[in-house]
Amino acid sequence: MIQLIDIEKVYRTKTIETVALNRVNLQVERGEFVSIMGPSGCGKSTLLNIMGLLDEPTAGYVAIDGQPVKTHSDSKLAKLRNEKIGFVFQSYHLIHDLSVVDNVELPLLYRNVSGGERRKRALEALEKVGLSARTKHFPSQLSGGQRQRVAIARALAGNPEIILADEPTGNLDSVMGDEIMDILLRLNQEEGTTIVMVTHDENMALKTNRLIRFFDGQQVADSRVLEAQI
Amino acid sequence: MIRHLFKLIWNQKKSNFLLITEIFFSFLVLFAVLSFIFYNYHNYTKPLGFKYDNVWQLWLNPNTDSSAHNLAVQQQLIQRVRSFPEVEYASLSNSNTPFAFSMMRNGLSYGGKKDVETNVFDVQDDYKNVLGMEVSQGRWFGPQDNGALHDPIVINKKLQEELFGDEPALGKLIRINDSTQYAVIGVVDYYRSYSEFDPEEAAYFHRINLDKNTNSIWNGLVIKVKPGAGVAFEEKMVRELSRIAKDWTIEVTTQEKMRQSKAKVTTVPMVALGLVCGFLVFNVALGLFGVLWYNINRRYAEIGLRRAIGASSKQIRNQFVGEVLVIATFGLLLGLVLAVQFPLLQVFQLSASIYWESIGAAAFLIFLLATICAVYPSYQASKIFPAVALHEE
Repeated sequence: MIQLIDIEKVYRTKTIETVALNRVNLQVERGEFVSIMGPSGCGKSTLLNIMGLLDEPTAGYVAIDGQPVKTHSDSKLAKLRNEKIGFVFQSYHLIHDLSVVDNVELPLLYRNVSGGERRKRALEALEKVGLSARTKHFPSQLSGGQRQRVAIARALAGNPEIILADEPTGNLDSVMGDEIMDILLRLNQEEGTTIVMVTHDENMALKTNRLIRFFDGQQVADSRVLEAQI
Repeated sequence: MIRHLFKLIWNQKKSNFLLITEIFFSFLVLFAVLSFIFYNYHNYTKPLGFKYDNVWQLWLNPNTDSSAHNLAVQQQLIQRVRSFPEVEYASLSNSNTPFAFSMMRNGLSYGGKKDVETNVFDVQDDYKNVLGMEVSQGRWFGPQDNGALHDPIVINKKLQEELFGDEPALGKLIRINDSTQYAVIGVVDYYRSYSEFDPEEAAYFHRINLDKNTNSIWNGLVIKVKPGAGVAFEEKMVRELSRIAKDWTIEVTTQEKMRQSKAKVTTVPMVALGLVCGFLVFNVALGLFGVLWYNINRRYAEIGLRRAIGASSKQIRNQFVGEVLVIATFGLLLGLVLAVQFPLLQVFQLSASIYWESIGAAAFLIFLLATICAVYPSYQASKIFPAVALHEE
C-alpha cells in the first residue's frame, strides 16, 4: 500500500549537514498496524512525514498503491492526503476556535461534501471514539485524552485507508494512552484501516502487528511483533 | 468554506474586535467622504445653463450717495462699454453674477405653494447673449416688454416644477405685493450660477428697465468680449470708464478666474478630506497587514494541520484572504446599519442614489483594501511547508 524506495532525507544548513534518513526501504501492506520505534532524533517523525506526503525526500521516492507520487502537483498531493491518509499527532493539533464537531469536519471541508453530510460523518466519527456528548465543546474544555480522541475522530471522518499516528499517546497518562490505543486497535481490526504509528512506548508497540526499529536514520529491525516478543 | 470562515471569525470575534471596529469607522468615513465627492461630481456633470468663455465681470461701485448723479453715470458707463468694438454684449446685473460670492433670494407663492425660496437675478436684455443662454419655452426679455402691464420674468425649469408642478408656466402671473405681479414669459432649462458644484436651485430673472428706474444702482456688469481681447483692452476700458465715473471704484476680472476661485471653495475641502481619508485608509491597511502577518505566524501549526488534512497551498491562500474579507464584512455590516439610514431618511436632502452609490463604492474600496492587504501574507502562508509548520507547536 505504501512503498518507500531508497529514501534519504538530509537537512542542510550553511555549516551542517544532518542525515535524518539513510537509504530506507519499507513496504507497508494494506491492513497492517505498524509501529516504529527508536531513540529521539533517529528519523521516525521524518519518516512518517515523508510517508504522509507532508515532506519530500532528498532522494528516493514514495509510492502509494503502486503509484509514485514524486511528480504529483501540490493539489494532487493535497487530494491524496485528504482522501487516503488520516493524521494523528502527539500534540493533537486541534483548532481552538472551532468546536469539537467543527474540528472533526475539517478534512471534509476540502472535498465537495455538503454541510449536512459533513455533519453526519463527523458525528459518526465522534461516536466511534466515544465523544458524542461533547460535540459542542471547544478543545480547551476537554482533557488530553478527549482531545486526542477528537483528533482520531477527525482522522476518521475522511474515511481514510491509512492512519499515520505520530506518538498519539505521548502526551497522555497510561490510562488515557490505553484508551487511545484501544481505539486504534479496534479501527485496525474491525475496519481494516492501515495504521503506522511512531511511539516511544514499547508496550504500545507490542500491541501492533509489526515493529520497525530505527537508529541514526536507518532501519535496524523489522519484525512481526509475535517474533519480537519471543 | 464560506460558512466555515464566518464561524471561525465569529468565534474569534474578541480578538478581531478592534479590527472590525477599525473597518467599521473606516467605512463610515469613506461613506461620508464619497457622498460628498459624488454629490459634487453629480452636480459638476449637470449643465450650467450658460457659457463663461470670453465673459468679463466688471464691478462698478459709486463712492458717493448722490443717487441722481450715480444713475446718470451708470447710464453713461453702460453706453460707453457697449460702444467698444471689442465688446459684443453687455448687461447690468446685481452682484450675484455667475461664480460671485453673492446671492439674492426671494420667496415666491403661487396657488397652494407658499414662499418657495428662489434665487433672483436682475438682468438686462443682453444678459442672455452675454452668457450664451438658451430659452427652452417662451422667450427672453426684449424691447416689447417696455410697456408691459406686469413685470416680465424668465424662470428656470426647477422653479417651474416647484411652483407650477406639471402645469405650463408661460403666462402665469405671480403676485408679489398689492401693486406688483410677475408674468412668466420664458423658461430656461438650467441656470446654476453659484458654482459648478452646486445643485440646480429655483431661480428667476427679473428685467432691468433703466428707463423706468429711478433709484437703483446695479453694481455688476457682465460683458462678452470678442476672442483675443486681452490686458491691453482691459486697461484701455478701465481708463476710459474711470474718466466717466471719476469717484467710482471699478474692478475687472474674468468669469474664468471667478469660476476657478469659486471651484476652490469645494475642491480644497474635498482634497483635504480625501487626504485625511487616505491617511486613515493607509493606517487601516497597515493594521490589516500587520494583524494578518501576526495571525499567520501565530497559526503556523494550524496551517500545517490544514495542509496535512488535505488543503492545497491555493486553498490556504484563499482561506487567509477569505478570513480578512469576512472580518471586513463584519465591519461593513455594522457600518451599513448606520449608512442605510441616510438614503432611507433622506438626511441632508441628498438624492438617495448618491448615498447608495457611496455605500457601494465605500464597500468596494474596503473589500479591495482588505484583499490587497491579505494577498502577500496569504501567499507567504501558502508557501509554508506542512512538515515544518506542524513541528512548530
